[in-house]
Amino acid sequence: MVLELRNIDKSFGEKSVLKGVSFTAEGGKAFGLLGRNGAGKTTTIRILMNVFPASGGEVLLDGRPIDYDRIGIGYLPEERGMYPKKRIIDQLVYFAELKGMSARDATRSIDSWLERLGMSEHRDRRLDTLSKGNQQKIQLITALAHDPQIVILDEPFSGLDPVNAMLLKDVVKEQIAKGKIVLFSSHQMSYIEEFCDSIAIINAGKVAISGDLHEIKRTYPRDKLVVSTTKPEQIKANFGEACTEREDASLLIRLATPDDKQATMKRLVENYDIDEVKVFEPSLNDIFVEYAGAQV
Amino acid sequence: MKQFGKILKFELKGYLRNKIFVGITIFLVVAIAVAMFVPNMIAAFGSDHEDTAASTELPVMLVLAQDSSLSALVRNYFEAAFPDYDVTVAQGTVDDVKAQVISGSAACAFVMNSASSYTYYVNNLSMWDSNTATADAVLQEVYRVNAMVQNGLTPEQAGDIMSVAIESDTMALGKDQMQNYFYTYIMIFALYMVILLYGQMVATNVATEKSSRAMEVLVTSAKPTSMMFGKVLASCIAGFSQLVLVFGSALLFYNLNRAQLSNPIVASIFDMPVELFVYLLVFFVLGFLIYAFLYGAIGSTASKLEDINTSVMPITFLFLIAFMVVMFSMVEGNVDSTLMKVCSYVPFTSPMAMFTRLCMSTVAWYEIVASIGILICSTVGVGVLSAKIYRVGVLLYGMPPKLTTILKTVFKSS
Repeated sequence: MVLELRNIDKSFGEKSVLKGVSFTAEGGKAFGLLGRNGAGKTTTIRILMNVFPASGGEVLLDGRPIDYDRIGIGYLPEERGMYPKKRIIDQLVYFAELKGMSARDATRSIDSWLERLGMSEHRDRRLDTLSKGNQQKIQLITALAHDPQIVILDEPFSGLDPVNAMLLKDVVKEQIAKGKIVLFSSHQMSYIEEFCDSIAIINAGKVAISGDLHEIKRTYPRDKLVVSTTKPEQIKANFGEACTEREDASLLIRLATPDDKQATMKRLVENYDIDEVKVFEPSLNDIFVEYAGAQV
Repeated sequence: MKQFGKILKFELKGYLRNKIFVGITIFLVVAIAVAMFVPNMIAAFGSDHEDTAASTELPVMLVLAQDSSLSALVRNYFEAAFPDYDVTVAQGTVDDVKAQVISGSAACAFVMNSASSYTYYVNNLSMWDSNTATADAVLQEVYRVNAMVQNGLTPEQAGDIMSVAIESDTMALGKDQMQNYFYTYIMIFALYMVILLYGQMVATNVATEKSSRAMEVLVTSAKPTSMMFGKVLASCIAGFSQLVLVFGSALLFYNLNRAQLSNPIVASIFDMPVELFVYLLVFFVLGFLIYAFLYGAIGSTASKLEDINTSVMPITFLFLIAFMVVMFSMVEGNVDSTLMKVCSYVPFTSPMAMFTRLCMSTVAWYEIVASIGILICSTVGVGVLSAKIYRVGVLLYGMPPKLTTILKTVFKSS
């Protein structure tokens, strides 16, 4: 399964929100949709989910316009919320039914999800009796109960304690393993880095960069080395201005050209007390700041 | 269509599980039951008591006149005219009579100044005291009979002349406004209450979904048209079940207590012709729907529940004006004025205006068809439009947008 957004434009009245957004997400892989607040992520997701039509461009699944009647989409919105005063099981079944399930299938699937997330005891309670983290787990069930082929998770980890975050990670990994298209939107870069093979960074309604995360990292010039050492003074003294200390106490050495890489590594290993030396690759955080930071 | 059914079911369940909704319904039924059964119960409990009291302790009505023959004559006539009083000729002066009335040993007193002039004394004048009116009629008769006797007629002849009865019959060939007034009034009022109540409920329901962000999931799961129609029809069904329950139980209780409830006004309410009842249903349903759609659309533009009251104000005013026009026309008895005729075709006023005219006047069949036709088309139109407003409105957070802005967006996107 390949989901492709091609040249999506969207304007509300005079205001143009999306300007030719394109990216491709594949089944069995997680895709990270990044961008600063107000960059157009939610609008992109809503167009993808057919909440409103795009002003231009198309959404394709396996090369053909997506058929929303046949393709299930699960969505965990960033703005969480369900019916606070209604019984949990009632509303979960309702949402699953709206997605086309029969009441019986819905109940069966929801019960197994409640079990899986350790929420079975809350089944018949009102939603507003639960803690925020637990409400979020309930909401996750609305996104997954109908076993959708496309799963969209907007900030799925916010508000979860480490144990629940672990549980959610397992669930997400399982969804990916099932060959589904999993779309992540988050500002927590570590999670994106952990799960996503591909990303798209949206800035001011345009895709600033998109593609395979490793390849994006490779495009950066390989002209810096990260050195872990217990005796940094000597190295600092010898490399002078080219050597700076990083936040984690390792050293960053700037090379004149990427071609010096091999020779410098050899020199470091042979002459100094080195624990580890590797070529510097930018973190997703660095990439994000570079591409999403510049507001147009 | 399948989604619509699910939404309808879910929303209906919401009403049935709503404690306030169920509470109000039960309260209304119980209140009606009490109102209908109380006269019966009073009759049952009070019957022995009244029998013994009636013979011995009728309130005393005093009659005082300078001329003892006048007081005896008046007493005789009053005895027949006031069966609820023990009419007695008073002794003593006017002050004695007053003292008796104040002390309570007499309920009231007539002090005759002459055959055609009297003073009525009573301690607390009740709102419903009609004794003077009765006395006036009786005394007039006495005076006339006396005058006739003095002019040479025998008392019998005079009596015959006075007691001649005119036979008359009124046949209303169109509608009898008197008889139809009360049930029209009650039905219009019920329509008014139900639309306001349920309209607000629909608006609040939509705004709650929006403010709780349940909307975020809903808009991605269901079509706005299904959402809107499902919600509004659910409120319609809930409203009607409530009405049927309340009016049905009223009808049942009325029939159980028919003997005691001889009041012609009450009777006229329950003897509504079937044909009018069918019209009532048609106008009720359509009127309900058209307003509920509007309320739903407005509800979708409010981000917070607090905004609802101000947002729905224009609709409530529109509705209130329609209600006032109809009510004033009814009270004036002029339901066929030009204003009413216009109102009975305008979709937002026709449910009340046309129904009132149907009840209280004679309306040609083509007028009815035109009115209902316009109303059906407008209801569908308003429904579709409100679903579109809903679709735009539910995703707008922050300040409630201007209506014109929304309409612009709606028409642009379609």
